Amino acid sequence: MNDMRIMERETDTRTVKITARGVQVHYGDKHALKDVDVDILDKTVTAFIGPSGCGKSTFLRCLNRMNDTVATARVSGTILLDGEDIYDRRVDPVQLRARVGMVFQKPNPFPKSIYDNVAYGPRIHGLTRNKADLDEIVESSLRKAALWTEVKDRLNDTGTGLSGGQQQRLCIARAVATHPEVLLMDEPCSALDPIATAQVEELIDELRAQFSVVIVTHSMQQAARVSQRTAFFHLGNLVEYGETGQIFTNPKDPRTESYITGRIG
Amino acid sequence: MTEVLQHQPAIPARPAAGDRSLYAASTKMRRRNAAETRFRLYGVAAVAVSLLTLAIMLFTIIRDGSSAFRQAMLTFPVTIDAAIVDKTGSRDPVQMARVTTVGYGRLLGNSLAAHLAERGIAVEGVDDGDIANMISKDAPARLRDRVLADPSLVGQTIELTVLAAGRIDGYIKGRVTRETAERDSNVTPGQLEMADRLIEAGILETRFNTAFLTAPDASDQRPEAAGLGIAIIGSAYMMVMVLIFTLPVGVAASIYLEEFAPKNRFTDLIEVNISNLAAVPSIVFGILGLAIFINFAGLPQSSSLVGALVISLMTLPTIIIATRAAIRAVPPSIRDAALGVGASKMQAVFHHVLPLAMPGILTGTILGLASALGETAPLLLIGMVAFVTNYPSAPPEGVLDPATALPVQVYSWASRADPAFLERSSGAIIVLLVFLVIMNVTAIVMRRRFERRW
Amino acid sequence: MSVSLLSLLVLALAVAGFLIGRARALKAAGGDARRLHSLPGYYGQSVVLFTAVPAFLLMAAWLILQPILIDGRITAALGPQVAPDATAAQLAMADVRRIAGGLDAMQAAGGFTDDQIAGMRADLADIRGRLAEVGVALGAEVRPEIFEAAKSYRLQQKTGAMLMSVAVLLVAAAGMAFALRRIDRDFRARNVSETFVLWLLIGAALIAILTTVGIVLSMLSESIRFFGMYPAGEFFFGTVWNPQFRGGSDLGLLPLLWGTLYITLVSMLVSVPIGLFAAIYTAEYAPQRVRNVVKPLIEVIAGIPTVVFGLFALVTVGPFLRDWFAQPLGLGTSGSSVMTAGIVIGILNIPFISSLADDIINAVPQSLRDGSLGLGATRSETIRNVVLPAALPGIVGAILMAASRAIGETMIVTMGAGAAAKMDLNPFEAMTTITVKIVSQLTGDTEFNSPETLVAFALGITLFVITLGLNVLALWIVRKYREQYE
Repeated sequence: MNDMRIMERETDTRTVKITARGVQVHYGDKHALKDVDVDILDKTVTAFIGPSGCGKSTFLRCLNRMNDTVATARVSGTILLDGEDIYDRRVDPVQLRARVGMVFQKPNPFPKSIYDNVAYGPRIHGLTRNKADLDEIVESSLRKAALWTEVKDRLNDTGTGLSGGQQQRLCIARAVATHPEVLLMDEPCSALDPIATAQVEELIDELRAQFSVVIVTHSMQQAARVSQRTAFFHLGNLVEYGETGQIFTNPKDPRTESYITGRIG
Repeated sequence: MTEVLQHQPAIPARPAAGDRSLYAASTKMRRRNAAETRFRLYGVAAVAVSLLTLAIMLFTIIRDGSSAFRQAMLTFPVTIDAAIVDKTGSRDPVQMARVTTVGYGRLLGNSLAAHLAERGIAVEGVDDGDIANMISKDAPARLRDRVLADPSLVGQTIELTVLAAGRIDGYIKGRVTRETAERDSNVTPGQLEMADRLIEAGILETRFNTAFLTAPDASDQRPEAAGLGIAIIGSAYMMVMVLIFTLPVGVAASIYLEEFAPKNRFTDLIEVNISNLAAVPSIVFGILGLAIFINFAGLPQSSSLVGALVISLMTLPTIIIATRAAIRAVPPSIRDAALGVGASKMQAVFHHVLPLAMPGILTGTILGLASALGETAPLLLIGMVAFVTNYPSAPPEGVLDPATALPVQVYSWASRADPAFLERSSGAIIVLLVFLVIMNVTAIVMRRRFERRW
Repeated sequence: MSVSLLSLLVLALAVAGFLIGRARALKAAGGDARRLHSLPGYYGQSVVLFTAVPAFLLMAAWLILQPILIDGRITAALGPQVAPDATAAQLAMADVRRIAGGLDAMQAAGGFTDDQIAGMRADLADIRGRLAEVGVALGAEVRPEIFEAAKSYRLQQKTGAMLMSVAVLLVAAAGMAFALRRIDRDFRARNVSETFVLWLLIGAALIAILTTVGIVLSMLSESIRFFGMYPAGEFFFGTVWNPQFRGGSDLGLLPLLWGTLYITLVSMLVSVPIGLFAAIYTAEYAPQRVRNVVKPLIEVIAGIPTVVFGLFALVTVGPFLRDWFAQPLGLGTSGSSVMTAGIVIGILNIPFISSLADDIINAVPQSLRDGSLGLGATRSETIRNVVLPAALPGIVGAILMAASRAIGETMIVTMGAGAAAKMDLNPFEAMTTITVKIVSQLTGDTEFNSPETLVAFALGITLFVITLGLNVLALWIVRKYREQYE
């Protein structure tokens, strides 16, 4: 397992970026997430793993208040970003999402040009003063997403014309273009073929130099490859959270062990 | 991958720390939120404007039309004077028919004047002639029909309720005032004064006017007698015929197109035709009806048959589209199951698919009929604006008689100058809307009751 | 024999055929239905189809063709003296028909025998008086040729009706015999029956094509006649519309086209913003409960007949605009105007655009919205920058179709826009449209074969082409630019 993991960096002096305490989510009558306490560290890749329907995506969507768009969802508990409660009444979710970006499971590029896809975020948030600045942001974001060399000659082509892997990398470029502090990724590779998956995983490791990344994955191997911290969810509870290496080699909770060894899942 | 680390172009500075608190809305955020609120308000405003217009429209119709259902009527004893109506004393209707409505008019006038004299009701400047003119010009004809049907009435004195003249009715409803009466040749202020007295005396009152729904149309001078009888029958004949024509043809065509038609150019042609026909203006169908059904085939103008044929052609595409949607909604598993037990394609369709699609088909048909009920323009072109005073006879011969339809009657009354006809027109719209509401509610209730979620 | 009686006889024959056919099939199988190829009912059904369908088709064709044939023969018999041209021929035939109808009434009322009627002569008997007695009023004395023609007409009609009855019954009987003969144990009655039914279904579908063909033919033939009387160039490019009773009319399309397009423009300015924003609100912002109430209410507007809107324009909107806008601004004194009709047509089209746009907006996948919201865009920015551009082809299509409806609208403009054909920029002036003139020229007093009446067909075909073109364009745009969402 050790040689599959990319070079470890120091993890224990990281600052806490997001603090969650007692988070509960109800969809109508269904109690989807029960009492979650977790600290997400900055400049770290944190993986959420667990069987289907265990609440990992639900919790992810709480971190940027995407659950607000679901009419039946009720969220309680505290989630702090840099010490500020994101569910406070004074907080505008729109402002929050400029700082906490999201990449979705199925690539969803806008039916616009590649350039306009990436430029969308900076434009609406007014991050640039002129076209030259915007061009720079688009180029740097596409480079960060390892897409620049492939598309630099066709920035005006429509984003939906790319292959699956390229589309997902475009969505990642789009998400990083607003310089978020946290990047949430909801099973970003599940719709991709293995080569594209490998490309995206490399990207994730590079991205953590600048952002804190939270990735939901149903592949334990991916979590082991990519993350420094791992949280295991089961039936709406956060069962165990700790260093990735320790979770996979020496889990403390018997449920975690059952999942990792494949007895449940 | 090294390119990612080496080629990092200069990134513009991040916004100042002060803007970074989540609790404080940045100025940009405030502007964006203001834009958001404005945008949302535009949406609410648009909905509000639409609904407000609807409310105003319904309000004006009800305000103008509800009075059509009440009509001013005079009640007084009438002596069927044999000297006027049956000079020969034979009580033979054929002989008595020689007396025209003029005579009966005199009879009514005399009776009313006599009654008023008896009760001591008099107004200065209002003579017997004026009193007689307060009775509707339509009333003598009704009395004549009644006496000829029952000659035993001759010589008797009966208590009769007749329509009051149009202007008197207008006075009660507020259309006619003393000022307008000065300039009006049909009524004098004295007559209005008399009307007040008659109301006090209980001789003149407004009653519920069933004749509005049953009587035929009346001429321009007698708005008080105009009724929707023929229009309702005409519309009813046409709706039944439209149903008979479109339902079988529409369902048959839909079944063919959905289940049996091969995917070739010919089928494409048919489908393109149907969707185009659904978008053709209604007046073009009127031209078609005029040219083919009336000129070429020689069917009678203004008959409900021609109207029904024209409207069927208009409604057919709509019904085909709705029926196809209903058939398509039946899942393929049903068809597969039927074929699997050895049914033929046609048996599968007629025994299984069609019954399951029936509620959707009926709903679509009712809605199609509802929109057909309101069609006016094509009916104008086939001659239905003509003035019809005789009821069409019973079908099947009756469909060739001249008739009219509810929306055509609305239009025709609205085009007449007398404001009393405006009240009639609005009243007709109320009747039309009641029918439409019933049909639409039936369709919606049916859809809810029989809707299946596959 | 009357049509209803004949129909009943054919139906009775068909029912009899059903029973006989089924019985025959059972007999052929020795009483055991299982040995038959198809269910017994199908044998009966095949007989019914062969008996009733050809007979009814023949009857329908005969009823349509017979009057045309007889009219043609009588007109030819009248000769060039009585009927020198088409108009005189039509008038003569109208007289012939009326007199024939009067003779029928006379016979019914007075009990004349056929021979007596045949023996009457126009110059001897007081035909006009007698006809007046049964309710047929004639303007002049009856001419002998017309009278003879009327008698001949009645005779031919009676003969024709009798021949039809015989022919139809013969065909029905022949069909029944043919079908019955084929019945035996191995006769694939169900297949035969189903193929027959399939052809009936195809026939029904063909009615759609027939209708289009009928529309085009009817307007085309009369338009060609019109262009024979009035130069096409002057029609399409003429700027004056002034039909005269006596001839020498100016029949230019342009003033009418101007009125139509101007009114359509005003209506689009009302319906597109309101309809679009209403759709955006109900699709994106409104909570489910509000949506459930608001959407049906807006649909109610769509269900109201256009004549009601016309009355609304005439009685409420027109005077309102005149009193509060036109007169104070000195722009016009009439309640009927382009603004009146345009605004009311706009209101009529609001639910059309709103429900189409609502469907189109709802078809945009939620993933696109999530992508935009996830980047920190507000709802309105998402709608403006992501949802609407994605929905644009469909919305453009909806707008084009609404324009097509506005162009073809008749009742509202008849009652709200007036009849004055002119080209003016002032929207508070009364201007008329193509549709109004079609109605007025076809329901007016001018005789049918004059250019003043036939111009309506030319107008009709112009209207048909314009609205068809818009609809085809709308469909093409949607098809070409629509994004394929999985």
